[in-house]
Amino acid sequence: MLTDPGYLFVQFLNGLQFSMLLFLLSVGLSVTFGLMNFVNLAHGALYACGAFIGYSIAVWTGSFWAAFLLAPLAVCVIGAVLYGVLIRQVRSAGPLTQVLLTFGLIFIFLDAFRVIWGDLALGVSAPTLLATNIHIFGQTYPLYRLFLIALGLAVYLILWLALERTNIGAMVRASVDNAEMASCLGVNVERLFFAVFCTGCLLAGLAGVAAAPIFSVYPGMDLEILIPTLIVVVIGGLGSLKGAIVGSLLIGMLQTFGQVLIPQLAGSLSYILLGATLILRPEGLFPARAH
Amino acid sequence: MYYPSKLRSAVAALLFVAGIVAAFQAGYFGKEILVEIALYALLALSLDFLAGFGGMVSLGHAAFYGIGGYAYVIMTMEAGVPPLAAMALALVPCFAAGWLLGIVTSKVRGIFYIMATLAFGQMIYVFTFQNRMLGGSDGVAGVPRIDLTAIGIDMNDPSIFACAVVVATGLVYLVFSRILTSSFGRTLVGLHRNENRMRALGLSVRWYKAMASGLAGTAAGFAGTIAAQHTMFVSPGMMDWTTSGEVLIMVILGGLETLIGPVVGAAFVVLLKHEISEFTNHWHFFIGVFLIVAILAGGRGLYGSLEAGVARLTRRKSEREQEPGKTTAQKNPEAGNA
Repeated sequence: MLTDPGYLFVQFLNGLQFSMLLFLLSVGLSVTFGLMNFVNLAHGALYACGAFIGYSIAVWTGSFWAAFLLAPLAVCVIGAVLYGVLIRQVRSAGPLTQVLLTFGLIFIFLDAFRVIWGDLALGVSAPTLLATNIHIFGQTYPLYRLFLIALGLAVYLILWLALERTNIGAMVRASVDNAEMASCLGVNVERLFFAVFCTGCLLAGLAGVAAAPIFSVYPGMDLEILIPTLIVVVIGGLGSLKGAIVGSLLIGMLQTFGQVLIPQLAGSLSYILLGATLILRPEGLFPARAH
Repeated sequence: MYYPSKLRSAVAALLFVAGIVAAFQAGYFGKEILVEIALYALLALSLDFLAGFGGMVSLGHAAFYGIGGYAYVIMTMEAGVPPLAAMALALVPCFAAGWLLGIVTSKVRGIFYIMATLAFGQMIYVFTFQNRMLGGSDGVAGVPRIDLTAIGIDMNDPSIFACAVVVATGLVYLVFSRILTSSFGRTLVGLHRNENRMRALGLSVRWYKAMASGLAGTAAGFAGTIAAQHTMFVSPGMMDWTTSGEVLIMVILGGLETLIGPVVGAAFVVLLKHEISEFTNHWHFFIGVFLIVAILAGGRGLYGSLEAGVARLTRRKSEREQEPGKTTAQKNPEAGNA
């Protein structure tokens, strides 16, 4: 089975799809992390928000596409409210305060999901347009998963253009590199951070609603994705788009192929990689900040 | 800097007496809760030693809890070591793991230390979870308790067991209190305050961090050996990172860098959990709200606020006692720590 190229190709696609999901989540987290040294453990909860809200919208309107467009916006609004009420107050506090505050948010979200949507896993069906299988190399593969890969790549492209080719992107890069200097040059770092934070929430919501048809929607899904996302952020290097995509591909492929090739060790592999990175190259593979 | 102030000693003594009384007076369920509080108190106070005094905020503390529990299980059930010796021997891998973690992470700081310890904890967790030899996700049941019938103590009596756990917790508290007032403890706090200065003084920063991490790991592992005997069962669930997070919450809700505060925090969180469970199973929500409120209120925690309040009162009192003209010279240096 392991020598069958078709099988390996399918695994490759699975890995790519998981990587893209990780990318959507980690890019927002990484840039808020790099921009303001802000640690948001509740980022996974926003992902789950996207999935749950997407489920409800899909049920009410009967259209997955409505959910796909509206759920990320709703999550973005939730993120903005959280920012205004809580996060702004601990922005410059130490990592311990931030970790605990956002850990508290995880707890609150967890029970909020249970109260509103119940304990059971909810299924969301893929849109009819994409709910078919296609044949590649003698294997059947769900079209929706390919759509997810394309979505990740498209988001990467848009973010790359926005960061590298626009004025705002230049401001973000300057602020990540040296926030004080950027604000001396007239960049409103505070407002920029808010915008980046909201974009991160939007992408987390997008990841949630996009993942809903593949994984089911259940309380605790946020904790499951949070750890791999954090690993990606640290391995990739804070605040860099390149780091987020490379880290996502690394962890996505490692987990997928690890499970196929060495199932006993698969779970530990990414932690070993994270430990090794922190010891050998604590700033990550592609840190955005110059040293 | 740590001082075993009167207030701290009084609260510690009060909690100890309350624990002993509860061990004999409470019902069966009450005793279970008491043991749970004591176990979390051990975890929380050792984490406070590491995070509050040593400045190493770990999100992998529960891993040592698991290592201790599993080491005890392997020694008693696989290797046939007598339980009492196994309890002592199980601390060796805990210290070693903590020491190694300390060595490896000695240059990692802030959020990266949190991530590194999280990775360490999850690595141990996932390894155990997937390892068939260790019972995998099912864990191991039928763990024996230590046998002290030779000196007339029956550990299978819930009251005796609860009492023994409270006494053990008290002893560990005294040990850490002693360590913190020793030159090692002073050095550790110095490291937290200004690492470069300590290095300039010629100290081996790495060695101190490794020792602190090893000691905290040993205490958490000790709690693990007790936990294994308490439920007579170990499972990977005891070392999930959310357990580490919960312990960190207890430290903060009680009062960081006070040593006794985390014990108060452990009692508060465990009792709250059980009280809330009486009418709803959504205790996470309330703990989350408490945590956020505590942080926004300044992050001193329950005991920390009490201590700050008492310090303010004594300062006001001493100011009132002084003559209006004399107030310049005498400041009360102990007030903040009293």
